[in-house]
This record gives sequence, C-alpha cells and structure tokens, in this order.
Amino acid sequence: MIHLEPRKHTSAWTNLRAIMLALLITALLSVLVLFVMSDRPTDAIWQMMTFPWQGRRMEVQWGLVLQQTAYLACIAIGLSVGYRANIWNIGAEGQFAFGSIGAYAAYLILGSPDSAYVFPVLILAGILAGCFWAMIPAFLRVTCNTNELLTSLMLVYVASHFLTYLCIGPLKGDPKAGQAETYPLAESVRATKLISGTELHTGLLILMAAFFLLAAILLFTLLGYRLKVAQHTPRAERFAGFSPKNTVWLSFALSGAMAGLAGAVYLTAETGKLIQAENYLENFGFAAIVIAFLGRLHPLGILLAALLISYVNVGASYIQASLRVDDSVADLIEVVALFAFLGCAVLDNYQVRFTSSRKAVTT
Amino acid sequence: MNPETLLFLSNLLTAAILLATPLLLAALGELVVEKSGVLNLGVEGMMLIGALFGYIAAYNLQTITCLEELIPGFCNKEERVFGFGDYTIALIAAACAGAVLASLFALLTQSLRANHVAVGLGLTILGAGLSNSLGSNFFGVNYTSVQVADHPDVFGQDILVWLSLLAVPLIWYVLQKTRAGLVIRAVGENHDSAYALGYRVTRVRFYCILFGGAMAGLAGAFIVLVHVDWKEGVTVGKGWLALALILFGTWRPLRVLCGAYIFGLLWASELRLDNLFPAWQLEWKTLLTVAPYVFTILVLVIISRNPAMIRRNAPASLGKPFNPPS
Repeated sequence: MIHLEPRKHTSAWTNLRAIMLALLITALLSVLVLFVMSDRPTDAIWQMMTFPWQGRRMEVQWGLVLQQTAYLACIAIGLSVGYRANIWNIGAEGQFAFGSIGAYAAYLILGSPDSAYVFPVLILAGILAGCFWAMIPAFLRVTCNTNELLTSLMLVYVASHFLTYLCIGPLKGDPKAGQAETYPLAESVRATKLISGTELHTGLLILMAAFFLLAAILLFTLLGYRLKVAQHTPRAERFAGFSPKNTVWLSFALSGAMAGLAGAVYLTAETGKLIQAENYLENFGFAAIVIAFLGRLHPLGILLAALLISYVNVGASYIQASLRVDDSVADLIEVVALFAFLGCAVLDNYQVRFTSSRKAVTT
Repeated sequence: MNPETLLFLSNLLTAAILLATPLLLAALGELVVEKSGVLNLGVEGMMLIGALFGYIAAYNLQTITCLEELIPGFCNKEERVFGFGDYTIALIAAACAGAVLASLFALLTQSLRANHVAVGLGLTILGAGLSNSLGSNFFGVNYTSVQVADHPDVFGQDILVWLSLLAVPLIWYVLQKTRAGLVIRAVGENHDSAYALGYRVTRVRFYCILFGGAMAGLAGAFIVLVHVDWKEGVTVGKGWLALALILFGTWRPLRVLCGAYIFGLLWASELRLDNLFPAWQLEWKTLLTVAPYVFTILVLVIISRNPAMIRRNAPASLGKPFNPPS
C-alpha cells in the first residue's frame, strides 16, 4: 500500500529530484509512444533525438527549434501570470489570432505602406488587439463573475471563425490561391532575416525581449511578489490590500498582450498574410498552456520547457517526413510530459511511503 | 399548419435531438463528477476518444455482404448490417475508452493530488492527439472510404436518446434520494467533514470520475455513430459546451436537460438557416458558425449575474485540493 506523507522540510533539492524523475518518466513513456506509433521504432527514436545532426544543414533545424521556442515561451509566460493567481486564461490561441488580425488591420488602415518604419506599428497593433480580445473574459469575470475559463475558450472558436471569415470575405486576396487568404504584406514591412538560410528573424528578438522583460518583472518587482501572494494564499492577497479584481485585469491584459505580440510577429515574419484558421493557427496557444505548467509557472522553467517541447515538435515533423510517423506523436509526448510533471509535483510536498498493511495507514 | 411547415419543424426537432443528446449525456456525467467536488475539464478529450473507439468497434462489427460482384474480388453493391447487439458492444467500447481516459485523470488528481485544471486541459489535448493519431493509423488519412451502417432505432429514435432522457430522473433520484447520492454530495460539499465522518473521499470521487468518463465516451459515440462520420476533432467543442451547460443548469439534472434541448434547437435552427437562405454567401455562413459559442458566453453571463443561485447549488469544494490529515 502506497501512502503519502507530508514533508517536513522542502528544499530546492527535493524539487529538483521531482523534476528529474518527471523527465525520466517522460523519456521512458516517449520511447513507448514511438514504439507504438512507428514501424521502425529504433530509427524513429534515434532520429527524434538527433534530428538536427541528421540532415546536411544543422542550423536550419536548430533555427526551427529556436523559432518555435520564442513563440511558445512568450505566450506561456504571459499565461503563467494568471495561472499563478488561479485565473485561467486558456484562450491564448484566440488572442494570438486577434493579434495577427490587429496587425493586418493596422497595415490596411495605414494604407498598405511600403516602408520598414511601419513594422513597430504593426507589432503594437497586434499587442493591443490581443489585449482587447483577452479583456472580454476579464471584463465578464469582473462585472458578472462569469467563469473566465469557459468564456476565454469559447472566444478561441469565435476568433478562429472570424479569421476564416475575414479571409474568405472582406479581406479576400488572390482567388486563385489554394486556400482562403489575404493579399500579402509589402516585403519591406516584414521582419528581416538575421541569419540567411535559417528561420531566425528580427521578430524573434522582439519576442525574446518581451519574454525577458516580463520574466524580470515577475521575479524582481513588487508586482511579481503580489502575484505570488495571490497564488499561495488568496486571502492574504486581500488583507495585504491587493485587489483580486485588479489581478484579473492585469493577468488577462498581460497574457493577451503576449499572445497578441506573438500573433503579430507570426504574421509579419512567418506567413506575411492572413490565412484561413485551419492553416494559420498552429496550436501555439494550447501548447503554451502545457508549457506554462511544465515550467511550473517559473520563467526559467518555462523557457526550458518551451525549448524541450519545440525540440519535440520539430523532431516530430522531421520524422513525419523521413519515416512517415504521424506528427501527432508530438502532442502525445507533450501530454506525457505534462502528466509526468504534474504527477511528480506531489513529491515536492509529500513523501511516498510504502507500508505493508492497510492498518498501518490508518494509525 | 400546412404540411411544409410541419415537415420543417419535424426536421428541426430531429436535428435538435441529434445535437442535444451528446451534450446531455456528457453534461450529466460531468454533473455527477462536479457534485463530488471534482472539476474535470477533459470532457472534450474523453468524448473524442469515445467517438474513435465507438467508431472503430462499429466498423469492425458490422457485417458486409456483397450483393453484386461483377469482377471477382471487387464489390459493386454491398449491404451493410449493423445489428442491435453490435451497436451495444460499440457503445460499451466507447464508454470503456472514456472511462480509461478518466481513470488517468482520477489517478493524477486524486492519488497524486495534481491540479484539476491542468490535468483536465492535458486530458483534452491527450484525447485529441490520441484520437487523431490512432484514427489516421486505423482509417488512413483519407476517411471517405469508411462507412458504418445505419444504427438501429427504437421507437423512431436512437436508443441513446431514450437512455439520456431516462438518465435525467435517474441521476436526480440517485443524487437526491439515495444514500450513495448523499455520500457523493457530502464529499462534494465538504471533503474534510466527509473524511472525518469516515467516507473514503478519494474512492467516491474515483468512481464518479469513471462514471463521468463513461458518459462522455457514450456522448462521443453518439456523435459518430448516429450524427456524423468520424473525422479529426469531430466533437467541435461540444465537451466544453457540456461544461457550460452544467453552469447553465446550476448543477440540476432537469435544468441541464432543458438547457441541452434549448441549445440543440438553437444550434439546429442556425444550421437550417443555410437551407432557408441558399443565396447567402459562404462568408456569412462562416460567421454564423460562431453562434453556438457566442450564445454560450451570453448564457454564462446571464446565469452568473445571479451569484446567489450559483452559490446555493454549486458544490462547495468544487475543484479545491483535498489533503487528508494524516
């Protein structure tokens, strides 16, 4: 009979041990997943682990990994702000879409200019649009006490259908294209490549800057401390004079802004145009939720988790191409990691004791 | 009324039943789960898994007989029979699949005391990922060749429709009038007191979560066996709507039933608008598909404006972590 016993002392070492155990379980279960999913499991496992060194050009694969890491880390750290205070914004996907829509709208309102100076304006518009979309659940939560978890999720469906509507309706571009899409942005407006041959561009620098800025705020300022108080003892938050309503506003504004920023950068750097939702949205918003929890809502953890998940994602698309393994392998490994980490988190506060009989438990 | 309107109305009602039944099934299961104080956000994932396994079972169980074979080995005209026993087995398969996924949730949240919200969201992603990968493994990427024969009817409706309607008074009775229901509610209202009284909080919750998973699996199976064919993400957010329905019904089975059918009717009429106005452009129809989600938000706003009603009916320790004193 297994029995959980509260720990008397917790230290960084016990936390680290739990994380190591979770990583080990993740690795073992991932191997199992690959064994089930592919015809040539040993090849699949080997290529999944070493895919950047498999092809002729390592920097391309690493570029893809770092590119995804930037997006995911940026959205996830925004979400972690609310999760610390038990405010559940799970609609980052919709805020991401609205960030892109906002950036494109700003581009059209400015009269489709062909100048590099417009780039920051588009980014700003994206941030504002993402923020606006996140404000809706926050407003409903604060004024009507509506469950923000459900409303933010419903707004993902609304946003993605709205994106598709824009692409086949008012903003319809080239009718000969295979998919519904708008006309592309002018080349000079788009983010410029940093290193030729890779996917790294200036937009990623903006994402990383935003990430480190928010990380610094969360780690070193009173605001971060306040959110920490809200996480651990909601009652103390009120006694200390912090308003729970303001926490709702703040966390939704920050997470919406980060997702909107990611959406705007995605538009200007990756696609250059809006595309119908199925082909445009890559589930960054949902993967970011997983990453926020994998990183235990800590900025450093989020960065590492984003790196891990991006590595798995890019690896999965690599073995999809080379070994025809379905790329939902990435989703499965992602969830395996999430469950392993959540399950092992119990070791932070509890010790597992094996007792011989049930009687021993009750005494 | 002229026969045309009558036909239209009956079509509307049929469509409403098709849309309402999975919502009702999933919502009733989740209602029991929430009454025991657990918030399982993985309904969508469990529905998808149930849908896939129900579909695979049905596909394998149906009997295909060839009526006309012009070229040997190539069937021109075939007959597919899907009997009542086969249907039952497919449903059981779906319910079991949902319950297995739910047991994972129960293990993590109850035994390992993980965060309900995080595990629930993970369960949704897991259900979607697993059903997509297994689905494409099983049916190939192109699903068009897969056909499941028609489901058998009982009194003009699918058996699950009747079952879901029957489950409403049954769950009400069990929760309100029996000892088991009292224990479930006690555990949901105050797990510490229930534990002190000697009830096995974790075990009661475990069973409730399994029941919720089985119901979600059935809901998923209904969607693919009765309503539409299997495809990736076939549930289109119905699991989340079921969660919203419980709030709408303030944790009361009868109100959940009303909510599910109001919802089904509205959704069905939104779908019928396409037929009424064929001249409408595709872009407007796309915009109209957001109607169920916007409607859900509106309903949630209206319901939660009255906090007293929520407070009176909501299980007091819903989603709160349970740390038994040791």
